[in-house]
Amino acid sequence: MASEHDNGGRGGTMRGPEQRPAVEARGLSFAFGRRPVLRDLVLSVQPGTAFGMLGANGSGKTTLVRLLAGLLKPDSGDVRVLGNPPGPGFSDRIGYMPQLNALYMSLTVRENVEFFARMCGVKDRQARTAAVDSVLELVELADRGRDRITSLSGGMRQRVSLAVALVHTPPVLLLDEPTVGLDPELRATFWKHFGRMTREGTTILISSHTMDDASHCDRLGFLRDGRFIAQGTPDELRSTTGVASASLEDAFLHLVRSGSLDGAPSS
Amino acid sequence: MTFDRTTAIAVRVMREIVRDRRSLALIFLAPLLVMALVGFSFSEKQDTLDRVAPALISVFTLLFTFVLTGISFLRERSQGTLERLYVTPVGRGDVLVGYLLGFLVFAALQSLIILLFTVFVVDVNYRGDLWQMFVVLMVLTIFGVNLGIFASTFARNEFQVVQFIPMLFAPQIFLSGVVMPVEELPGYFQGPAEVLPLTHAVRALREIMLRGEALGDVMSEIAVLAAYATGLLVVAMATVRRT
Repeated sequence: MASEHDNGGRGGTMRGPEQRPAVEARGLSFAFGRRPVLRDLVLSVQPGTAFGMLGANGSGKTTLVRLLAGLLKPDSGDVRVLGNPPGPGFSDRIGYMPQLNALYMSLTVRENVEFFARMCGVKDRQARTAAVDSVLELVELADRGRDRITSLSGGMRQRVSLAVALVHTPPVLLLDEPTVGLDPELRATFWKHFGRMTREGTTILISSHTMDDASHCDRLGFLRDGRFIAQGTPDELRSTTGVASASLEDAFLHLVRSGSLDGAPSS
Repeated sequence: MTFDRTTAIAVRVMREIVRDRRSLALIFLAPLLVMALVGFSFSEKQDTLDRVAPALISVFTLLFTFVLTGISFLRERSQGTLERLYVTPVGRGDVLVGYLLGFLVFAALQSLIILLFTVFVVDVNYRGDLWQMFVVLMVLTIFGVNLGIFASTFARNEFQVVQFIPMLFAPQIFLSGVVMPVEELPGYFQGPAEVLPLTHAVRALREIMLRGEALGDVMSEIAVLAAYATGLLVVAMATVRRT
């Protein structure tokens, strides 16, 4: 099993074994009414890592992202992002992309991104303009800046939503299914950028249910019934099947069917 | 609370309303239609019209402001943008005051239209100063904006916001001197009537419009209304975090 600071050969140059986790959850439990969603969940993500949270629909991915973003309060357990409990005090250090696009539909692409940059404390007009230009370039929407959100396709809206999360260059990104609706070419471009960001020290947590996303992550956590049934690098998780040619999907199904945390890689 | 964030939210709210042409048209046309209907209904009873006009102006000002704000603020929550705002350093004060300022421009215009249309087109007789009447309506409008924001924090969809209208408005219409003067209500209703904010707005406007009193004479009514507006803003700050 790989060490905690090994991220599968991508990035990690700025990290050392003594570093404090960028994102940490201990004994995290949360229920909607009487329905438990997360149970005694443990998570530790080192700085500069792309951590993929994988699981079926209803496995608790979005709830976990919202807890990490400070939008929900845990029933028990502790959440730390950059050493602090998530909340308004330092939320300019988090970039959050919800599953729902959450954009102002009658505003233009540029107006949306600029508004959130201002909310995140980018006060200087010139700096803000430069940040918006740069992030729109990144999501390949520089030529659509003046278009209203209502005139964009679903995939384009998704890209604007990502731009909003990135515009203030936060050290931690919480992305809830960011690649849904993107074509393969753009998905590859996104992952190229995510890879560059992690190399530069950004910590990225991504929820997804596609194995394509999973294969790009440095570390993965398979979420089932409100807890991680396994955590590790893609290679570690594949190796649990005992089959050399196993895919991550095989690994996920194997771990789900074995129904036990015993023997599975874990952080 | 920061000036930069608050003004950015206010500007954004105004920009969204201006871009929604159909809603913008309705914001200004709906009060005109309603007040024109009132005018036609009372066309042969000028005395009655003069007497009920302050109450009707107050009720419709509050109602239109409440609907405009309640539904718009709910949209901010249902489209997920409010949640997104809460993963920025923005505070509740920024959001609420930003919204208040953004809506206030349109709500104030709406109130002004109601007042001017009633006075000049429906041709209601009045004695006091128009600007003093508008001041009363502005305080009522601020209360209405805060009431809309407050109510929308308890609603999950537009239908639920609309359900608040009979709940919040029916008692006020019956007890606040709209249907009959508070003094003519049964004794057991007079106490509750004094608690209702609309009672104080109707009374203040009536004093200025019918008796030609000045703002100074109705300051106690305006103070009660302003206290309600401030109180609701404070309570809304405690409830607005609901996502």
